[in-house]
Amino acid sequence: MTIEPELLMAYADDALDPLTAKRVERAVAADPALAEEVARHRRLRAKLGAAYAPIMDDPVPDRLAAMLTSNVVRMPRRQPRPSRVSAAWRSAAAMAACLVVGVLVGRGVQQEGPVAATDHGLYAAGSLAEALDDQASGTGGPVRIAVSFRAQDNGFCRVFQSAEADGIACRDPKGWALRRTMPGSTPGARTGYVQAGSSDAELMAAAQNMMADMPLDAAGEKKAIASHWRAR
Amino acid sequence: MNRIRFIPATRKTGLAAFETELLALLPRLRRFARSLTHDGADADDLCQVTIEKALMARGSWQAGTRLDSWMYRIMRNAWIDTARARSRAAETFVAEEAGLGVGGEGNAEARVALNEVDAAMRTLPDEQREAVALVLVEGMAYKEAAEILDIPMGTLTSRLVRGRQALMARLGEAA
Repeated sequence: MTIEPELLMAYADDALDPLTAKRVERAVAADPALAEEVARHRRLRAKLGAAYAPIMDDPVPDRLAAMLTSNVVRMPRRQPRPSRVSAAWRSAAAMAACLVVGVLVGRGVQQEGPVAATDHGLYAAGSLAEALDDQASGTGGPVRIAVSFRAQDNGFCRVFQSAEADGIACRDPKGWALRRTMPGSTPGARTGYVQAGSSDAELMAAAQNMMADMPLDAAGEKKAIASHWRAR
Repeated sequence: MNRIRFIPATRKTGLAAFETELLALLPRLRRFARSLTHDGADADDLCQVTIEKALMARGSWQAGTRLDSWMYRIMRNAWIDTARARSRAAETFVAEEAGLGVGGEGNAEARVALNEVDAAMRTLPDEQREAVALVLVEGMAYKEAAEILDIPMGTLTSRLVRGRQALMARLGEAA
């Protein structure tokens, strides 16, 4: 059976569908010359990869980075590569967040708490839902909205802070779905689970990852409130 | 509350999902530029032109689509433009020392390896070099590379196979 060079190359690159790959694999197994050709393809890929790798570790020249940072609002740096310590720290924070949500939901059973557990997940309720609906960013109150933005799926999301919890809530037809929750950060938090870690940097980084473009400005936010946060 | 300092965005101080993502792509863009230009200084010039174009065209990038593919495409087209202008200007002037510049004090062995590959890449026709760069260096799938280059899959694979065979021969991988 003859195997075209393109096919053999694609096999070496793992770029074939399973069926074709099987067919080539049998041919390669039966012909040492083909097997050697496959090995050469892979060696070349490895060689090129290694040769260019140092560029990835090179510091990016300032003149290039400056083109992108000079007119940009400073954002918290994304975590570089999570070290073991910070990974452990993060999972501790996640656990703490779970506890908080547990406490909030638990309370929600007795009174109108800020979080409701539904079949579709956790949703904002009570005063939190009201604030998310109507409150402009930056204004005071028991709940504070840090920023509103359009997520990549085009829906609206808002970063909020309150005594009980901080988080990101995204609007869907059922209400404000809680995407992220962390222990509350505003002074006077009463949950007992508040921890020293800064939820704001985590939330900001998360918001930044979700954001389609930039946060809404005051006018955009006003419009969104008026149209009840309906996605376009 | 000043725990969170999200400055309300205005047109002027546009915040930065786009820029931030682009910033994170810079090392890969520099690598792609290097494999296209086979020269450190040219590569950074190409990066600069590419970023300028990207910032101007950011309105046409659709959030949620791949920024890396979009940037590779801009860079590749920018390179075609400059390379065309350049080959008219000075055909003969090929600097043999070109390609230092990597890794500042980076180790000598790595530099030699890169210079060897630069020299081999230089011998390829543009259309083979860009296919090799996208697939073998940048790790793009065939389909992604074909889309970036705006060519059919069959064209991509035939350029790629020819480019690779030439490189294997050059780099001491002859059968």
